[in-house]
Amino acid sequence: MRWATRRHCHVDRAACAWLIRRFLDPEAEFVFVDDPDEVPADATPFDMRGVELSHHGGDCSFETFLRRYELADPVLWEIAKLVHEADLADERYDAPEAPGLDVLLRGLSMVRDDEELLALSGPLFDGLYEYRKRALLTGREPA
Amino acid sequence: MLLAYRLPRDPSTPRSALWRKLRRLGATQLLDGLAALPLDARNREQLEWLADEVFEAGGEATIWIGELASAAQERELATRMAKAVAADYRALIDDAAAARSERAGRRRRTLGRLRRELRRIRARDYFPPAERELAQQAVDELAALVEESVR
Repeated sequence: MRWATRRHCHVDRAACAWLIRRFLDPEAEFVFVDDPDEVPADATPFDMRGVELSHHGGDCSFETFLRRYELADPVLWEIAKLVHEADLADERYDAPEAPGLDVLLRGLSMVRDDEELLALSGPLFDGLYEYRKRALLTGREPA
Repeated sequence: MLLAYRLPRDPSTPRSALWRKLRRLGATQLLDGLAALPLDARNREQLEWLADEVFEAGGEATIWIGELASAAQERELATRMAKAVAADYRALIDDAAAARSERAGRRRRTLGRLRRELRRIRARDYFPPAERELAQQAVDELAALVEESVR
């Protein structure tokens, strides 16, 4: 399937792309556009104004994906809190790692294009998923 | 950059949520329903999400990229924004001064809180006033005091 989002990805779009490839569509292809009007007819848009898979009711797009696709995995919701705070910093959640994640991805986006950004941030989110999973299973931060 | 919006009077929750988010971004309320924020990629995106939230709450919102007609008015607006963050910095400086007489354990927790608060204020400080440096100093001095008490 083809998926479309805005060019110059930051944390929310990078996290959504990772979620799509890992949990929804392993064959996903991404198209980056400047304007919602440029979204190809066969692509599903996300993290853009006026589309379903975007910010709603104070949720960031990653949270919207979890709700719309009914992904109830508690580890994904842990990551959602982190992505929300890195993207919006509105203190809805307590996520002390968020400013760090924001800086890492913002910096990466300055030196890599969108394709490369997603290729590099994917394993980062894989690692976050593993870390948060172990933390949930053992009830303590993995060492 | 301007956000022009109109929200229903009731319920009041979306109004106060919007107000809180605008304030966190460092926006200045020019009139009822008109907020201004310096233009950059991040602010633009954040303001667009806020406009969508206004729509979802049954209101109307438009985003404008604007320019003040005179340099004097532009300075005035920048001064107004600088004054708002200066007041936030001063409150933080007062808190840091009060924390000096707290007991060691409590003082350490206050330091953590003030460091986070300083980061939040700096994120919405577009025209840094002199108080910015003073606030940083006040927090650094408190940090030195906390370090001293563990030695």
